[in-house]
Amino acid sequence: MKASENNLNQTPLAENVVDRCKKGDVRAFREIYDAYSAAMYNICLRMTNQVSDAEDVLQEAFIQVYRSIGKLEKDASLTAWIKRIVVNHCLNYLRRKKVYFEEVGEVEVSEEQGLDEAQFSYTVAAVKSAITALPTGYRTVLNLYLFENYSHKEIADMLGISESTAKTQYMRAKEKVRQIVNQQNIMN
Amino acid sequence: MSDNFEQFIQQNRAAFEQPGPSPRIWDALEKELGQQKKGRVVSMLSSNWFKAAVIALLIINAGILFLFIKHKQHQQNDLALMLPEMQEAQFYYSSRIEARLDSIRTYPAAEIGLDSAAMRELELKNDTYQMLEKELKNNPGNERIRAAIIRYYQLKLDLLDKILEELEAKHATPGDLKKRYEEKI
Repeated sequence: MKASENNLNQTPLAENVVDRCKKGDVRAFREIYDAYSAAMYNICLRMTNQVSDAEDVLQEAFIQVYRSIGKLEKDASLTAWIKRIVVNHCLNYLRRKKVYFEEVGEVEVSEEQGLDEAQFSYTVAAVKSAITALPTGYRTVLNLYLFENYSHKEIADMLGISESTAKTQYMRAKEKVRQIVNQQNIMN
Repeated sequence: MSDNFEQFIQQNRAAFEQPGPSPRIWDALEKELGQQKKGRVVSMLSSNWFKAAVIALLIINAGILFLFIKHKQHQQNDLALMLPEMQEAQFYYSSRIEARLDSIRTYPAAEIGLDSAAMRELELKNDTYQMLEKELKNNPGNERIRAAIIRYYQLKLDLLDKILEELEAKHATPGDLKKRYEEKI
């Protein structure tokens, strides 16, 4: 199993569900939707940052799943395939919103450069809120790496940037989250 | 190596998940899929219209034969020679049908989308034609046979025109369309 599949806890599917869906069986498609929609919705939500847009993107992506499932090869992973369709739809949504993933210079961002983590504690609410507040480009890279478990190389390929840029953007995004969480700690 | 932040995310991964989407997403999807299914049927019909047209031709041929056999007992055994107007009609229609068949044959078989049996049925001198021609030779003065042959020609010509029209539309370049429009006006 690929790293990008290991955080999806969907209901196990019947063995022949993909074959039935390939034949146009809407009930089989419903089973696939029920198994994957929650996890995929969370991806959309993290990537779009808005409930209504996340729902639209999810719907578009599942229409493509239904249309293209005939092309899914027999031994391919259904989970990785659906997830990739959903992520691609999210990235298309961001491109429509004119979010560009630009190359950055080879700036080394050291992990030690930032704040001293020992000085403050993380909470789920604080981290969630900090990630939501990130600029879209940073948030995208951070989500793809940290939550969707894609490698820097895979992220670079998806966004059309170099691997070093993907890595740098991730480091900066992480640092930004730390700063926001730290500010929240101070204020509280 | 994971830092505190990454470790925190990994340890609390589930807490970052929200409940699934609203049930109205499935309702909208189901509606959309229903429309796509209808669209697929229409597009299947349109992509197979050649086959449908040939099947229609086969039915028409069978109908002509049926009419012919049904009224055979009323044939007038007129021994007159084939009427000159019939010869003219035969020449008129057969030259046009052959010209259209030649044009159709210039397209690759895959574009035409018909198997060899269906293509044979499109040929001018198919089984129906040969039977009608034989009967006309034996009964040159029979009105019903003459009418059946003329009808056969007209139907075949109409069908070939439609097939050609479709093939040309599929392959027309904007220049072709402009030329055709200029020819029309």
